[in-house]
Amino acid sequence: MKKRDIFLIGLLLFGALLTFLMTSPDEPLDKVTPCKLLEIAATNDKYLSTDELARMMMNNDPTIVLIDLRSKAEFDTFSLQGAINIPLDSILNPKYEEVLNQDIFTNVLYSNSSDKAAKVWLISKRLGYNNNYILRGGLNRWVETILRPKRPLETAVNTEFELYNSRRAASAYFGGGTVSASSTIGDKPSSAPFKRRKKEAAGGGCD
Amino acid sequence: MGPLFPQEIIGEELNILIGFFIGIGFGFLLEAAGFTNTRKLAGVFYGYDFVVLKVFFSAAITSAIGLFIMNQYGIIDMSAIFYPKTFWIPTLVGGLIMAFGFIIGGFCPGTSMCAAVTGKIDAMVFIGGALIGVFFYAYTYEPLWKELRDSGAMGKVNIAEWMGIDSGLFILILTLIAASAFYAVTIIQKKVTAKGDYQI
Amino acid sequence: MERSKKYMNPYLAGILIGVFMIAAYYFSGEGLGASGALKSVVVATTDMVAHDYATEHSYFSARVSDPENPPIKTWLVFEVLGVLVGAIISAAFAGRLKLETIKGPNVTTKTRFITAAIGGLLFGIGSQLGRGCTSGMVMSGMGVLSLSGFIGLMAIFGGGYVLAYFFRKLWI
Repeated sequence: MKKRDIFLIGLLLFGALLTFLMTSPDEPLDKVTPCKLLEIAATNDKYLSTDELARMMMNNDPTIVLIDLRSKAEFDTFSLQGAINIPLDSILNPKYEEVLNQDIFTNVLYSNSSDKAAKVWLISKRLGYNNNYILRGGLNRWVETILRPKRPLETAVNTEFELYNSRRAASAYFGGGTVSASSTIGDKPSSAPFKRRKKEAAGGGCD
Repeated sequence: MGPLFPQEIIGEELNILIGFFIGIGFGFLLEAAGFTNTRKLAGVFYGYDFVVLKVFFSAAITSAIGLFIMNQYGIIDMSAIFYPKTFWIPTLVGGLIMAFGFIIGGFCPGTSMCAAVTGKIDAMVFIGGALIGVFFYAYTYEPLWKELRDSGAMGKVNIAEWMGIDSGLFILILTLIAASAFYAVTIIQKKVTAKGDYQI
Repeated sequence: MERSKKYMNPYLAGILIGVFMIAAYYFSGEGLGASGALKSVVVATTDMVAHDYATEHSYFSARVSDPENPPIKTWLVFEVLGVLVGAIISAAFAGRLKLETIKGPNVTTKTRFITAAIGGLLFGIGSQLGRGCTSGMVMSGMGVLSLSGFIGLMAIFGGGYVLAYFFRKLWI
């Protein structure tokens, strides 16, 4: 072996030793301070756009689990295909723990908007669970962007959109059964003012 | 805070430009290491040239060490980068098919592209074959491959976690194994090349 | 064959490839790949000549239905274009830019072409089924300690060693 070879292999070994020495035991879960949590929430957002979800579902990605956080009644009326229902108030129920705390599947949390999903995401993060993602915009955006994508875009202003959206969420909440694919959008679709995220974490090397 | 593009810190055009330059570096190094010479590649299986093994493990270990340290210091968020999900059955079957391809064709896709543009005619033929292979796969995807491709899903599995040890310890063990292998193959290569004419 | 310059030290090349891989992950969140570009070419071609077929079949549909993400304009395609340029630069510097066929000492050029084509075909299928090739799945996967990278490593190289004996006439 040449000297340079030995030097370079030594370099690799040195680096490996360094990583070994740097390994620190995981922080206990109850030591996650609000400060740390804020940092995680701010830097590590776990949103999935409706387009990304649609693409994954079209790909028949077997690792996706859709979790509907709305009430049972709403869930029974309309939900995404294959979703399971865990109402927001029962997410801490031990029987759902194995769904939320696992490493195999990609959980996609949704309700009518992103609200409940964001809450659940924060709680699950606090508990140290991974692999939970928030469907950005929830079912509302799902209907707007996925179920009715062909309508031509109109130049609706921002406030109009928000108003429209909150009305939709409210009517869904109070009316319960109004969220269905056919009855959601009565009037005009909106040019949703959100930036399309080009990709989720895994763009896909060679795949 | 990395990765920059998935977190929208840099724009798409810049991202693609960076990809182009990273590709230049990758291609330069593949060529410079001799990966365009199919006999050098095949040598790893016959003991007369282990350049593939040396480059491959050095690269993987360097990357593992670098990403580990960056993750520890919060420079990169490992959860936001490309992390191949494990589907062990298709990976195993696909890997065996690729093993056949490697030993018969003498290239893998990346090296064949480098070899083709630097004038290796056999590599151009290999790429032609590979494109036909992808076409064949694509047109027979639903009846033949779909079910197999999605079987054995395990999600994102970190091998160190899977084995129940720390990532740092795993990297150390991997590096020790690699270093021993580097030493061993140097001796093997010397013996094999001493026996016959393996000028390449 | 001393006409060309010597090859780079393999460990150094490996370490530098590792550095580029880290850069790819840091800037773009992507691993280094190759076979994905082949797929982009196939998908784009099919979309061009038979758009209806492409939208109806699940292998293609997810990739052609999104007008903002045309298959040919992806990070990986540009990365692979860079690979080609980089290889040419290196070969030009080292005086290895030459039209030739490299083969084992005991095979004819015709045999070499046939085996290269069959090998390519198998690699094309295997890389699609296995979700990536030697660089995109195994090397990049090992870099992030993904189990799939190590399974791929075992399958490709383990399989290669088992098969090597039967195909030794091709190479030695």
